[in-house]
Amino acid sequence: MRDDRAAVLGQIRIALQTAHLPAARATLPLRVGTGQGDTVSLTERFRAEVEPLGGMTYVARSDEQAIEIALKVLASAQGKELLAWADDEIPVRGLGAALAAHAYTRLDLAMPEDADARRNKLLELERAAAGVTGAQAGLADTGSLALVSAATRPRLASLLPATHLAFLKTSMLFPDMASFFRAHPDVTRDASNVVFVTGPSRTADIELTLQRGVHGPKFLHVVLCDWL
Amino acid sequence: MSLHSPNVTFHERVEGALRDEILHTALDRATGRFQNLRVTALASLPDAERVRDRARLIRAHTLAHLDTYLEQFAAKVEQAGGQVHFARDANALNEIVLEIARQHKVQSVVKGKSMISEETELNHALQAENLRVVETDLGEYIIQLAGETPSHIIVPAVHKTKEQIGALLHEKISIPYTADPAQMTAAARATLRREFLNADMGISGVNFGVAETGTICLVENEGNGRLTTTAPRVHVALMGIERIVPTLDDLSVMLQVLARSATGQKITVYTNLLTGARRNGEGDGPNELHIVLLDNGRSRVLGTEVAEILYCIRCGACLNACPVYREIGGHAYGSVYPGPVGAVLTPALGGVAQWSDLPQASSLCGACREVCPVRIDIPRMLLVERDEAVRAGKMAWWLRLGLRVYSVTATHPALFRLATTTAGWGTRALGAFGKGWLKRLPPPLNGWTQSRDFPAFAKKSFRAQYRESRHAELIHLDDNAFRE
Repeated sequence: MRDDRAAVLGQIRIALQTAHLPAARATLPLRVGTGQGDTVSLTERFRAEVEPLGGMTYVARSDEQAIEIALKVLASAQGKELLAWADDEIPVRGLGAALAAHAYTRLDLAMPEDADARRNKLLELERAAAGVTGAQAGLADTGSLALVSAATRPRLASLLPATHLAFLKTSMLFPDMASFFRAHPDVTRDASNVVFVTGPSRTADIELTLQRGVHGPKFLHVVLCDWL
Repeated sequence: MSLHSPNVTFHERVEGALRDEILHTALDRATGRFQNLRVTALASLPDAERVRDRARLIRAHTLAHLDTYLEQFAAKVEQAGGQVHFARDANALNEIVLEIARQHKVQSVVKGKSMISEETELNHALQAENLRVVETDLGEYIIQLAGETPSHIIVPAVHKTKEQIGALLHEKISIPYTADPAQMTAAARATLRREFLNADMGISGVNFGVAETGTICLVENEGNGRLTTTAPRVHVALMGIERIVPTLDDLSVMLQVLARSATGQKITVYTNLLTGARRNGEGDGPNELHIVLLDNGRSRVLGTEVAEILYCIRCGACLNACPVYREIGGHAYGSVYPGPVGAVLTPALGGVAQWSDLPQASSLCGACREVCPVRIDIPRMLLVERDEAVRAGKMAWWLRLGLRVYSVTATHPALFRLATTTAGWGTRALGAFGKGWLKRLPPPLNGWTQSRDFPAFAKKSFRAQYRESRHAELIHLDDNAFRE
């Protein structure tokens, strides 16, 4: 396949000899501190940011409470099939058993290599009523969830179904994105996908009227696990 | 729409736009709303002005070391299992994408929003090889069904009413007619969902590439970007060579100003960070990631007086702020990059000779520089390009002659007095029927009166009036001096 790498880089080097670049410096000045806050204020901020966007939040003080909230949320979704992260990836003990006890089943998310098999797999996953995930972090200043992909944390669980139910340890709340990157400098090395999710999918493409749930989930529920 | 100038002239396009009532109302609403939202959103950022300063420093620093950062970026992407391709021009990019499609026996393609693909007219190239190409951003999808081009960078279908969109969806995807945005959105979701799940290849744009990690960042609200980069087997990401930032920390700074400046959100619903191909046993996501970096004139622009336009992060704030854009909309510019940024970028990339009208499409009021999150001095560069256009002989003979006559007249007082007296008689005679206003000036000055009236000269010249009033004022002052 053609590749103009050498030509393009060579042209750039020539251009840089005459480039007029206002404000350019050899090095960037160090950035002084990012936002701060304790768990309580970060939790408050997170909720205050995501609720106006249409995201629902709940604070749970125990596994039992979290499970109770989860079952209520899932009852509002149409259907019993779920796309879910592995049990170990969700911080609530006993959630898997409780879901099974209430007749919820999980669809297997592994994609086959073959093109046709992959297509059929996706069509099958499309049936799921809800996606159930954990979250690696929350960003308080924007009300965002950080979802980091892994074998046990499939990307489609937070994307295909109309309802997305996420569990977040409040101890994993960061003031902002910069402080998250500082705490996890290798996050992009270990995962092909890190997505910050901020509220339900939306568009205003028709006469600037807000519509939720255009391609991604229409409903986002975040259970903040306060005891973790 | 691309950087190839269309058949109709700039003035014809502008006239068409000015006559379009629906476009006008829609543009007023959209640009007005985005401007207000932007102000509120920036106010929510502690120290917004310093963040903008830093964002500017980051862009300037990156471009000053672009070769180094691009090499680092490419090496990191490859380390993470992604493939990197450099394309010298539009054809090279289209050829690379087609070759990837052939290798993977691709039949259908879903696309997220990508300005680069519009710049290279990639859809045409793909369709010419019988590939099915579907735009998935709701606005872009509507525009594609209608066979049109975007009129606004953030709301591509802003020039269409909900009734027009309802009729379009009824005709093209056979749903019962409705003008309810909720029902139309639901119908589009269902139709496009099938496209996503059936597609072999997803093509997306890129907002930023992070050099230290080889990560590409893509921001969006609908989720079509996530689906495009997750469901199909192959993901091809298209980016301009200038869209690099050094580190993840720098990325977090850029993201603080991007959405705020674009839609007035603090952050978009989805901020996707994609690094290399699927790995460590990950169950879903594409099997392959290809990143195609487009030059297409950018490296040449980097060596010029207008290199600063490459700082642009494509938020669209300058469009909403521009009094010219707000009147004529995106189509009138005739380029994939409209508004103030497009008026500089399009001639820079496509040649001033071909696009000499665009740097003129500005009153140099400076609103664009004011709102730009990275403080790009667009008016300065518009002047550079106007200068260049004149040097390239892009000035009408009568204007050249007129300016020469003016310069002689203005430097000879007697001649100047004679000229203003003559012009005074002339305009007053012509304006006698228009209550002192001229509806039409004689050629070649008739261009000026096409969309406005010209006032007849006053009976007394300014100099004469000044002389008289100064005389009166001095007497007046003398009177007052004793009353204090």
